[in-house]
Amino acid sequence: MERFFRSDFFYHFRHAPVAIVSFVTIILIILAAIFANFIAPTNPFDPASLNLMNGFTPPLEANEFTGERFLLGTDDQGRDLFSTILYGLRISLFVGLMAVLLAMVMGVLLGLIAGFLGGWIDSVIMRFADIQMTFPSILVAMLIYGVARGILPPEVRYEMSIVVLIISIGLSEWVPFARTVRGSTLVEKEKEYVTAAKMIGLTRQQIMLRHILPNVLSPVLVIATITFALAIIAEATLSFLGVGVPSTKPSLGTLIRIGQDFLFSGEWWILLFPAVTLLALALSINLFGDWLRDILNPKLK
Amino acid sequence: MLLFVALISFLIFRFVGNPVENLMGQEATLAQRAALEEALGLNDPIHIQYFDFLWKAVRFDFGNSYRGALPVAELIVSRLPATLELALTSAVFAVIFGVFMGVYTAINRGSVITNFILSSSLIGVSLPTFLIGVLLIWLFSVELNWLPSFGRGEVVDLGWWKTGFLSESGLKSLVLPAITLGLYQMTLIMRLTRSEMLEVLRQDYIRLARALGLTNKAVYFFHALPNILIPVITIGGLQLGSVIAFAIITETVFQWPGVGLLFINAVYFVDIPVMSAYLLLVGFAFVLINLIVDLSYFFIDPRLRDSELKDEA
Amino acid sequence: MIEPLLEIKNLSVSLKKRDNISVAVDDLSLNLYPGEILGLVGESGAGKSMTGSAILGLIEPPLYISAGTISLQGSSIMEAPETIRGSQISMIFQDPLVSLNPLKTIGEQLIKTIKTHFNISKAEALERSKKLLSDVGIEPERIDAYPHTFSGGMRQRVVIALALAPEPSVIIADEPTTALDVSVQAQILNLLKQLCTERGTSIILITHDMGVISETTDRVAVLYSGRLVEIGKTSDVLQRPQHPYTAGLVASTPNIDPNSFEKKLFQIPGAMPDIDDVPDGCAFHPRCEHARDKCHTHRPPLFDARVSCWLLEKPGGTL
Repeated sequence: MERFFRSDFFYHFRHAPVAIVSFVTIILIILAAIFANFIAPTNPFDPASLNLMNGFTPPLEANEFTGERFLLGTDDQGRDLFSTILYGLRISLFVGLMAVLLAMVMGVLLGLIAGFLGGWIDSVIMRFADIQMTFPSILVAMLIYGVARGILPPEVRYEMSIVVLIISIGLSEWVPFARTVRGSTLVEKEKEYVTAAKMIGLTRQQIMLRHILPNVLSPVLVIATITFALAIIAEATLSFLGVGVPSTKPSLGTLIRIGQDFLFSGEWWILLFPAVTLLALALSINLFGDWLRDILNPKLK
Repeated sequence: MLLFVALISFLIFRFVGNPVENLMGQEATLAQRAALEEALGLNDPIHIQYFDFLWKAVRFDFGNSYRGALPVAELIVSRLPATLELALTSAVFAVIFGVFMGVYTAINRGSVITNFILSSSLIGVSLPTFLIGVLLIWLFSVELNWLPSFGRGEVVDLGWWKTGFLSESGLKSLVLPAITLGLYQMTLIMRLTRSEMLEVLRQDYIRLARALGLTNKAVYFFHALPNILIPVITIGGLQLGSVIAFAIITETVFQWPGVGLLFINAVYFVDIPVMSAYLLLVGFAFVLINLIVDLSYFFIDPRLRDSELKDEA
Repeated sequence: MIEPLLEIKNLSVSLKKRDNISVAVDDLSLNLYPGEILGLVGESGAGKSMTGSAILGLIEPPLYISAGTISLQGSSIMEAPETIRGSQISMIFQDPLVSLNPLKTIGEQLIKTIKTHFNISKAEALERSKKLLSDVGIEPERIDAYPHTFSGGMRQRVVIALALAPEPSVIIADEPTTALDVSVQAQILNLLKQLCTERGTSIILITHDMGVISETTDRVAVLYSGRLVEIGKTSDVLQRPQHPYTAGLVASTPNIDPNSFEKKLFQIPGAMPDIDDVPDGCAFHPRCEHARDKCHTHRPPLFDARVSCWLLEKPGGTL
């Protein structure tokens, strides 16, 4: 630990106010999402706690029927916006995290295999990656989402929508991981220690996972950070378009879609607060990711 | 590449959702089903079905939409002008402003305006497209009431093409969606132009030009700018492709009656023929754009021109 | 006594990194006289190229000129270096392959340069460009060719034409032949020398190659760690080097001598220090076999306007 605090990494961190601010923001948002049950005044997913009469209460003002006050106001169904945002963050972060994990595991494995084995396996994987890369990932995610809904019987579509969402976003983001890992693997496998490992008779799986993998992880970390921001944005976008999470369990994107409907009638707060939260989250992760990339590997640009 | 996309789109078309069920409904008898399967060619070997699919696609025959039972091709053709006009406008906007700001920020490193542009560009990349659209609507339609927030306005029918360029309300309606769609591409093009420009300005021929006393104007516009065109056109072209995809989001926000809106509704209602036709269309657009990008290299770079001539000789 | 054309006094170029400042060119004074060819020699990183860039005001952050003056014909050029670039002093860089804009014909590049400095018509500029090309030994018909159609040596000829186009009084040639084939090097050097002699143009020739120095230059300045260690007439310096470093450089230059094949080439032990780690006293003392106590602590001044070494402190003292 002491070594960490004296490291170059930490030196750069202390001298980059942007990195500190964005890192603290990310941590605060994540903590707020994890401890939503304790922080939030109400549970917005519990229909029993809702009072339709509370609908459209502006922030900090008393409701004209019930007299209740809400920090950030309420939405059309009388849900406390502050609580809904906290619970929505949970869903956004959860979907984002799972999607990144899926993309990372898939990308790293395929990249390792392509780089280490080479030959036709390499060609097939990377050719597929190239073609997928031509299409923007949000389109790929939508397509996978549509197909998955087509395959699933209509009865389970609703419950499965979060899983489908995670898979769609995850599958649409694996390519950068695979490309980077393949590139590093090609370099690593020529090195002495791999030859040595082969000589002492380790299997290919052992060499790939125990020896090459740990050495290609630092760029993976950078990509994971940036992909995390992308995944959160993708989730918000899909939910906004109405093809993401169901509106009974709103994520940030769903809340923004609901908010847009009420812009013209003057209920601006339903849109503004979720939008600001989403922006703060995406911006902090991007800023932190940018900084991380510059520090860990200046050449990765 | 196009064949591969076609294969995916065929597989989706053929195996996702059951066309028979969708066409006949639940009440059909087994015999009726079998007859339809035969008529649709579903019993043929798979590669025959694929070629059949391709052959039909070449003639723009994508079957009928599950919803409304209209031919998919007809639907797409009626929606295409709206999307193309939107995509073109925003691409032009993105390229012009992106290149201009990229060059400006590369030349005036560290100035106040540069720092402002660079930090707002970071926010620009982090803002999801739909949020930009919603915020623009809020500001310009709700608060200021300057510009319409949905639809295409009045369109002029040219017979084969319904354009929004020729009416005032059409042009007004175009502004917000075009900015929404172009903003992200603009920041990307700007950052790319800037980094390429900084890279080129480090080159020896720039140092030589400076050492020979050339003016800043000559250094930037005579020497540097032509040399950043190739990467900017390459990425810009690829970006044009993603403009088409991001149009889905913009069209939803602004209820713009283009193919993107058609697609998102297809995803929502699991309208497989529309989805597969859309995929093919986008694939085709990408191939076309790549071709144009490749061709443009030859007009810019004499080295490529010569090596190509040598190859042919 | 002849007035110097270009006068560099106590020039320092520093580098700011994090919180440290290190010095890349340290208190350098040099004169260039009309019509002469002055060599700047030293290992890479000794500050030769940096001096060249500093003269033209082409130093970019994090590097900056921290002290000193540069004047041309008695008046300072540091305030507005862009006014003398090209017209008074122009430059030739090391690698001709990247010194020309790949997307413009050599004619376009020549005409652009000429029209920047002379208020003449395009037709006249074209005529001058053709004349310059034939002066440097390239057929004027090739004026519409792109740089990639020329070989390295030919491109360096084009670069020389470009450098001569504004008719400067000084040309700074930064390793002009290092990237070229050995057989072409002499041609380019002779061409440069001949053209400058015809026009009365002075040259600062930056190189690490003692062979080039001995064949081309009138005077030579030896740099080590950003400091001037010895300066003088080329023949004097090469035949009777006074500074141990110069002596080492001369001794380590391969000599094609049929009688010396058996000899082993001399090596200077160690390596030049990084600029952020220059030792106290004389920068060369860790590698110097003659180093005394004083060399560890005190920086030697330039004795006899010739050599910066404590061995020369007492009148008459030599190696």
